[in-house]
Formats: sequence, C-alpha cells, structure tokens
Amino acid sequence: MDDDLAKARAGNMAAFEALVAAHRKQVFGLGLRMLGSVHAAEDLAQEVFMQLHAKLNSIDTAEHLRFWLRRVTANRAIDALRRSALVNVTSLEDEAHDIGSEDPGDPLLQRRLRALLLQLTPAARAVVTLRYQDDLDPTDIAQVLEMPLNTVKSHLKRSLSVMREGLEDHAT
Amino acid sequence: MTDDLEAALRAALRPVDPPEGFTGRVMARVASAQRHRLRARWRIPAGIAAAVLLAISIYLHIQQQRREGLEARRAIVEALRLTDEKLDLAYQTVREASGT
Repeated sequence: MDDDLAKARAGNMAAFEALVAAHRKQVFGLGLRMLGSVHAAEDLAQEVFMQLHAKLNSIDTAEHLRFWLRRVTANRAIDALRRSALVNVTSLEDEAHDIGSEDPGDPLLQRRLRALLLQLTPAARAVVTLRYQDDLDPTDIAQVLEMPLNTVKSHLKRSLSVMREGLEDHAT
Repeated sequence: MTDDLEAALRAALRPVDPPEGFTGRVMARVASAQRHRLRARWRIPAGIAAAVLLAISIYLHIQQQRREGLEARRAIVEALRLTDEKLDLAYQTVREASGT
C-alpha cells in the first residue's frame, strides 16, 4: 500500500489506479450514505480521487491517505448537501444498488435505517456513517471532521435516539 | 437494544462497491485533467514565444523598409548628381558654341 502510494507519487498511473481500487468502496460508500444517491455519490467519489491525484505529494503514508480521503469525502458531501436540496429519500435504483451487494441481515430494517439516516443533518450523517461504516471511534471522527469530541458524541447519541424512535414509529 | 441497533446500522451502512467501471472512469478523468494541465502549462510560454516571434518579425520588417528607403534615397541622390553633371556639360557646350 505504501509502495503503491510512493509509486503513485512518482507519477506511476498503474499505482494510482491500485489506490483508487483499494479505496473506492470506502469513498463511494461514505458518499452514498450521506447523499443517498448512486449518481451523486459516484460524482463525489470521482471528484475526491481527482483531488487526490492533484494532491498526492502532500500525502505521506497509507494511514494519512485513509484519513485524508475520509476528511475530503465527508466535507465535500456536507458541502454538497448544504449547497443543494439533495434528496433525503433514496430511489429504487439507489436501493437496488445496496440490495445487489452482499447482505447479511434484514433488508427491510436496513432500508429503513438508511432512510432514517437521510433525515439527519449533514454533520450527523457524517458522524453516523464514519462510526458504523468505517468503524471509527468518536475521537477519530472528531479529528476527521474537525469537530469537538463532545459534539461528535452528542451527534451520535441524538442520531441513535432519532433512529430508534423512527423504527418504533414505523413498527406501530 | 442499542447493541441491536448498532449491529443493524453496521449492516445497513456497510461499504458498497461503486457502479461497474468506476475506476476506469476515474482514470479517464485523471488522464484528461493531466492533458489539460499540460496544455495550460505550455500556454504561457507558447504565448510569450509567439509574442517574441511577432516582435522580431515586425523589427525585421521595419529594418527592411528602412534599408529600402535608404537605397531609394541613394538612387535619387545619384540620379540628381548625374542630372547635374549632364546639365553642367550641356551648359558648357552651349557656352562654347556661343563663343562666350
């Protein structure tokens, strides 16, 4: 991985392609969860990798790369959500994209949770997605989003509560 | 309940692959941006080179016109000199013929 990064920094396009292939799931996934649209998430992910290519020389290690990708993707998604009235419901096509991937649990519950995620504020979506998609702890999330730790914890607590209520309302 | 919800969220928000051909599309855009950057990088030097060539050609053209002007002036002076000589000669001939 560090090897691919070093080669990509030296201008090796095959190595850069390997970096894109290694991180596309993380970047696209974060975009999809936050924007709720496959097309918007793909556009966002492409922009992130374009920016990465232009900034490769400022990335030192594989760990730094992961951190950078998360930060840039989350910030771009938050900006996109603030700029435009992007959907807060997923289309059938977007859901089909999820159903197509490997799915270990209850698809209806998962669909409901993804829909509830899209009801949250952009910052809260970023916090929840980084917590449950990337398995980051609140301290790491605070660093990625440049947010006070207490704000992250409060977003998590409030979001889980909203989602729990949303599931209960749906069940009744 | 929280654990169940968190487990369900992990499953619901698991990373997903982008649509097929994503990496290829990224690489095509990167290559296109690189070409664009390369063109932009050469745009200023190319503009400067074109301006220098234009200035040189204008300078050469002016020099050429100046040379042609000097040449024309020399030809006129020479023509006047020859005319003057011929007139002197004619005047002298007329004077000799009239015996003065």
